[in-house]
Amino acid sequence: MPDRTTTVIRLEDVVRTADEFDQLVSQALPVFLDRATSSTKRYLRETGQWADDVAHEKFVLRWGAEYLERFLVCGRSEAPCRPLFLLDSFVAKQHSQPDPFCYHPDLLTPLGRYLDGLVARAVISRDALIALYHHCYGMGPRDVIAITGLNELESQRIYKNFRRWRDSGWQRTMDEIGMTDVELEELVVQQQRHPQRFHHEAERLVRFAQAHYRKSEPDHYPCLSRSQWGAMFSEGHGCDYRLWHLVLCADCIQTAWDLGRNGDETIGKPRVELHVRP
Amino acid sequence: MAQDRDLEDYRACLIDGLKVRARRSACGSSDPIHVFVNEHRVGTLDGGGTETTFQIQIQTRIDTVELRSEDGVLLGGLSAPEYGFRTAHIPISGDTIQLRVHNTAQGGSATAMFTPAPSSWRRIWKTLAASAEATVRLPTVMMGPRIRVVAVAQLLLAIVVVGLAADRIAVWMAPERTPSMVTQAEAPWAASLPEVTKLERQLGELAQMQARTVDTIQLQQQGMAQLQSTITKLSSTQEKVVSNMLTVRQEMEKQQKGSGREVRQMTRLLMGKALSEQEQLEAEIHSLTVANDRLSEKMVGLEQDNEELKKKLKAAGVDVSKAVVSGHGNATTTRPPDIGQTPQSLQAADSRSNIQLQPFLFWVAFSEGTTQESIDQWLREMDGRKGVLNEGWQEVAIVQPAVPPDRFLDRIREAKIVKAVRTNR
Ligand SMILES: [Zn+2]
Ligand SMILES: [Zn+2]
Repeated sequence: MPDRTTTVIRLEDVVRTADEFDQLVSQALPVFLDRATSSTKRYLRETGQWADDVAHEKFVLRWGAEYLERFLVCGRSEAPCRPLFLLDSFVAKQHSQPDPFCYHPDLLTPLGRYLDGLVARAVISRDALIALYHHCYGMGPRDVIAITGLNELESQRIYKNFRRWRDSGWQRTMDEIGMTDVELEELVVQQQRHPQRFHHEAERLVRFAQAHYRKSEPDHYPCLSRSQWGAMFSEGHGCDYRLWHLVLCADCIQTAWDLGRNGDETIGKPRVELHVRP
Repeated sequence: MAQDRDLEDYRACLIDGLKVRARRSACGSSDPIHVFVNEHRVGTLDGGGTETTFQIQIQTRIDTVELRSEDGVLLGGLSAPEYGFRTAHIPISGDTIQLRVHNTAQGGSATAMFTPAPSSWRRIWKTLAASAEATVRLPTVMMGPRIRVVAVAQLLLAIVVVGLAADRIAVWMAPERTPSMVTQAEAPWAASLPEVTKLERQLGELAQMQARTVDTIQLQQQGMAQLQSTITKLSSTQEKVVSNMLTVRQEMEKQQKGSGREVRQMTRLLMGKALSEQEQLEAEIHSLTVANDRLSEKMVGLEQDNEELKKKLKAAGVDVSKAVVSGHGNATTTRPPDIGQTPQSLQAADSRSNIQLQPFLFWVAFSEGTTQESIDQWLREMDGRKGVLNEGWQEVAIVQPAVPPDRFLDRIREAKIVKAVRTNR
């Protein structure tokens, strides 16, 4: 039996190097996760957004883990430091921002959690961003390339994005946002039973999430007028702009579709239509 | 109860996810890497391609800089100090990304610089040459301005680096070129055994550091030659574009006499394109200047380390220039005679100095069925001279190989016709 006293970690202690930081934090991940989670819970309580249910517990766990992941990577450059207290200040800094996360009671339903998680992931993952074209509008790689007017060179990446998402990205995202298979199946069933009602709810929530996360890109990606989009398409610039904004704006994507119509109507007018699975 | 269970599973799943972190990325080394500043996506670094530096300046303070793969996995990052500099080296599948942030009262700036593993330099030059090739083959109107821009900018960078390096190579090589024997009397030896071990290690470090830098520089020199031919090709392509533009214009004028509207429109379009190309070029050069500064800094840093190490060694009673080189493997002169073997590092340094002085000799056994013709051609390709043939081993002499011996021999072993290589008779 290993000597227990040697493995006792003194979390309040100072670590001197980045390696020591890694070692300490990786040994005490559950403690750190609980710390980040309870800070987030406290924030929700103090801002009157907390309720005692599983959905809220999952919400704070998800964000606690998100903060902790960033802390693991960025915090090590702060050594020498006291990791536990550094985590507190790291999380507090997140909460001091105007909209630390996309919180809304409606987003705590399974459908809301699903959509919020998906769009939140698109902010940090290009694969997830491209996959949103499928999940929100039912588009495949070809449709994405057509509606965003990508050239041949730029379109190669789209296929890779789709592939990786199907292979691993989607499952990982579901794990990270805590969507169980049962919950996903439930969504599919709801969609079949009450297509109309499901559609309206999905569109409302998609627009809500889009509006929140659209702001995550630097401020130079706002909505454009029809003629501005037209100019961008004909001049062939702003590839990232188009890919980012169109999938996150249910209005502009229709404008882009209108502009791109040149005889052959291979894709129908894009409308929000949820595709639960990749 | 089921809900509690659900929650517990979720928590366990999250902890597992945090444990494996960066290892989860399904992306390859050629996929782009996204740069985030204060959790906003601000740009990409293209590891396998040509965009190797990213720089951003913002009006507010920078809190964090993060790197993510295409599938969103956090690969590394840096938390910025309130004021001043901080840097981090983030290893990503063999290569390194250097992050640097600087916060001042006016705002923050961040630089991410992709530094490939030395062997990937060749890959990059290859990519560059290949893309240039592809560009030449494309119809003229489709020619990608970016590729040319990048090639030009890379050339600028390479020239500066080589220029910068040339005098340093001279400095580093110089002491090695003038071998001098150190007698026991000249070396005031007063160090204890642990100190000797420490010195040995430092000396080893010094030799390694120099070898690394020289390696990189030499690879860059090779890349430059390749680039020059690329540039030549590209500029001829550009000339073609210009002449084609004129032809198009003449054609249009001929066909649509009177109505100059189309022509004007076309001209405006082409002018607009040219302008944006120029802007891109300027931006590229700007970011390269930054990268360049960074490289010079690194060089200066290396040199300082070098000097410091030399000073330390000197203080301990060893003259580094004499220690690194000592005639024919006689490195033990700088050590007390009672300590046995020649240290590894000294031997390495010694062989380095030799290859600079005299032709490098090695012996090759060729694969069965290799014709004399292909052997001769192979020798011509690498500028080698044939020596005696003895029991199937062909002696080959090469004047000053462009890379260190071990790397050079690796390359020899890569050749199809080569079966085995050895460096002693
Ligand atoms: Zn912003
Ligand atoms: Zn919009």
